[in-house]
Amino acid sequence: MDKTKFRSMLQGVLVLAVIALCSGLLLGFFNMITYVDPLQSAYDRFAEDTGATFSKMTDPDGEEYENGLVLYYALSDDGKYHAFLASGKGGYGGDVQVYVYVSDNKITKAVLGENAETLWGTFEENFFDQFIGIDVTQKTSFLPSDVTTSSTAKLSIQAVSRAIDAVMTYYNQNVGGENNG
Amino acid sequence: MDKRKFKETLLGGLIKNNPTFVLVLGTCPTIAMTTSLFQAFAMGVATTFVLIFSNLFVSLLRGIIPDKVRIPCYIVIISTFVIIVQMVMRRYLPELYTTMQAFIALIVVNCIILARAESFASCNKPLYSMLDGVSMGLGFTCALCLIGIVREFLAGGSFAGFAIPGFPAMQGAGASAFGFITFGCMMALFNFVIQKVNERKARMKAASLPLTAQLEEVK
Repeated sequence: MDKTKFRSMLQGVLVLAVIALCSGLLLGFFNMITYVDPLQSAYDRFAEDTGATFSKMTDPDGEEYENGLVLYYALSDDGKYHAFLASGKGGYGGDVQVYVYVSDNKITKAVLGENAETLWGTFEENFFDQFIGIDVTQKTSFLPSDVTTSSTAKLSIQAVSRAIDAVMTYYNQNVGGENNG
Repeated sequence: MDKRKFKETLLGGLIKNNPTFVLVLGTCPTIAMTTSLFQAFAMGVATTFVLIFSNLFVSLLRGIIPDKVRIPCYIVIISTFVIIVQMVMRRYLPELYTTMQAFIALIVVNCIILARAESFASCNKPLYSMLDGVSMGLGFTCALCLIGIVREFLAGGSFAGFAIPGFPAMQGAGASAFGFITFGCMMALFNFVIQKVNERKARMKAASLPLTAQLEEVK
């Protein structure tokens, strides 16, 4: 192989490797100063959304279902709110996380969590309000057709409905009617 | 520092080479992130941050980066700053990050950033490159905010999240197709105004020339 060509190739690879290494170090530093424990983040969000206090995560391991999963479940200290961080599979950009709060067997609030969907701009501003009041013990499943919206983002709708569905399944299997305060 | 170059670089991105209305770069975030003024502003600020620092580092390393691997090197530099923006937003602005996550990640492939790295930062000094980043970023942010104001007003009957009484929301105005129409109309208006201003400047310049010089110009 031509020596000059080889040297030029090696130089290119080395420069790229050094830049990538420096980039990694810089990102590592930023990760250290901006890192948030996911469990703590969920606690904070639960407290912020409900105004109640959550001193322990009732189920930090959650449960996985066919199309969705419950990542965390916590019962508020006063026993009023059941807080869930659920995730629906099959969104356009992967899984879509939804925070769901249940009180007296009814959904009191649903808030969008982490996701990589691109079409939230096409949804109504109060899109998540439609889930308020749904009795999670009366409905056994929640389908995309149960969602009302003028948006055509089918995969995002599907993922949100799957997250709600996972919460319903979890609630009926693990929380039940008599246990909820 | 050359004052004229400084002024040209600073104003270039805002008006003459506005990345959105003149160069028509970064159309994807322009359409997607202009449904509200706040989102448009946040996207503009995030892009400006990445532009400034990627331009600075590309310029600092321009003598070291071999020509053959320049694009992968630029992408590594740009993606580093995009990930930093993601980390900071995730930590300090979680709600905004939730709605913008996909588009923040896509800043890596925003044509404005790679274009400025390749055409400006790679052949200019670090200070001018940073200045170009500020200028282009401001131009992009202003353009996004202008489109955001119009789209938010039409689609939601509001300004910066505050409802304007007497202006009902227009159905479908938040859709991407309407975004393109708004973008096109504003681009036409921007270029029309710039053209008129330039014509006026040229007329004034011609009028201020002495008669002999005017005759020379005609010849």
